[in-house]
Amino acid sequence: MDWSLIWKAAIALSGFGALLGAILAVASKRFHVEVDPRVAEVLEALPGSNCGACGLPGCEAAAEAVVKGDAPVTVCKAGGPDVAAEVGRIMGVEVGSLVPLVAHIHCRGGKSLSPIRAIYQGVNSCRAAEIASGGGKACPFGCLGLEDCANVCPVNAITFDEEHIRHVNVRKCTGCGLCADVCPRDLIQMVPASATVFVRCKCQYTGKKALSVCKVACIGCKKCEKVCPADAIHVSNGFASIDYEKCTNCGECAAACPTDSIQLWEAREGHPEGGVFVVPEKKRKRDDRGSDQ
Amino acid sequence: MHEAWRYFLLFFGAAIVANILLIRFIALCPFFGVSNSLETSLGMSISVIFVMVMATSVSWLAWNYALEPLGVGQFLYIPTFILVIASLVQFVEMVIKKTSPPLYRAMGIYLPLITTNCAVLAAATESVKPGFFTKLSIAYNYGFLESVVYTLGVAVGFSLVLIIFAAMRERLDLAPVPKFFRGVPIAFIAAALFSLAFMGFAGMFGL
Repeated sequence: MDWSLIWKAAIALSGFGALLGAILAVASKRFHVEVDPRVAEVLEALPGSNCGACGLPGCEAAAEAVVKGDAPVTVCKAGGPDVAAEVGRIMGVEVGSLVPLVAHIHCRGGKSLSPIRAIYQGVNSCRAAEIASGGGKACPFGCLGLEDCANVCPVNAITFDEEHIRHVNVRKCTGCGLCADVCPRDLIQMVPASATVFVRCKCQYTGKKALSVCKVACIGCKKCEKVCPADAIHVSNGFASIDYEKCTNCGECAAACPTDSIQLWEAREGHPEGGVFVVPEKKRKRDDRGSDQ
Repeated sequence: MHEAWRYFLLFFGAAIVANILLIRFIALCPFFGVSNSLETSLGMSISVIFVMVMATSVSWLAWNYALEPLGVGQFLYIPTFILVIASLVQFVEMVIKKTSPPLYRAMGIYLPLITTNCAVLAAATESVKPGFFTKLSIAYNYGFLESVVYTLGVAVGFSLVLIIFAAMRERLDLAPVPKFFRGVPIAFIAAALFSLAFMGFAGMFGL
């Protein structure tokens, strides 16, 4: 056996190692780039899920933008007030109070409530269905149920039931608003997490026409407008909508609604979605399908 | 044989006839990992072409001027090449970071990933040990220029297939694929059909 090979191998490898190490050491000094230490701190404070809700490509880009001053310290919608306060502390900026938001879907007309008028077999996406003659649902304003919002959700907070209607898990929802942007029918609204009264319909038809496309449609009767003590709910374009800056969560409108399209959110410990929609007690004579199971 | 024709054959053979992804089945993890979208596969392709050519050039020099004269090349080429390639990528990353931040942002995340990419090591190995994985009929001891052309062929072949495949996978996402085949399974099937198609190039120009 040729023992000299061992020496040669050792010399060759250690020579390469030493040479390359030296080159890298020199290069790291020579090509050193100053990085603002606050970037790392801000990045640490951000949630790190790279959801893109801020409109920047990932949390690292957001951290750089904040430190550069291109973005406000409240840039992270998903992180909410806690993260904003932490980022503000690092940057030395006071942060005003931020209202945490959650997504709310303005439709509860599932398959059994809004009849199917056609079978849609195209590309499995709400946006595609909306372009292709509005999908197969009778109501031209309701949830298409093809999961665009669920697919875009970075925290998997949106699920769907056998009725093909979306549900938002308020425990998981970070309020990033990506689903609201993606919905072709504009059914998702970002509402304050403290709100408990919701209009669960956005049907622009009124009266009998609305009921002909969906059994639980808002018929635009304006009873809610009349009973609201805070002037917070108004009917426009055929459906009621709530101004959450004025709403006091009293629930009068929900009690007055003849089609149960206004409902109350009741937080429940241990419920997989964080709570359920209920109809006020005095109106219990009606079967409220798809709302309380 | 005419010199330019020889280089063309070398390039064509490396890129198409003995395609690294579909014929040699090397570097399948980036093939399936970054072929989700056209954009990432483009970034990866550019980085691979860049790194592969540089890595082979340096490896060729290391082989011909250090390992072979010492007579230790036959058993020391893998650790040496890994060492050389890893250091090179680190070095290039530093230089790019300093001199061209936009380029760094475009290639940044792919550069460290490529360090240990088996295709890079395979191309470097083949350029000093022709026919190590797949024998091309013109393979023999490559000169420097030949090994660079050969590696460029390998990298371009990699990029070509990766980009075509990414474009196809984007369309597959919208196709009515049975539920159980969605995602990676249908990609594997598509890759297999792709590979069959590429086998049709075998023997072209006598390669």
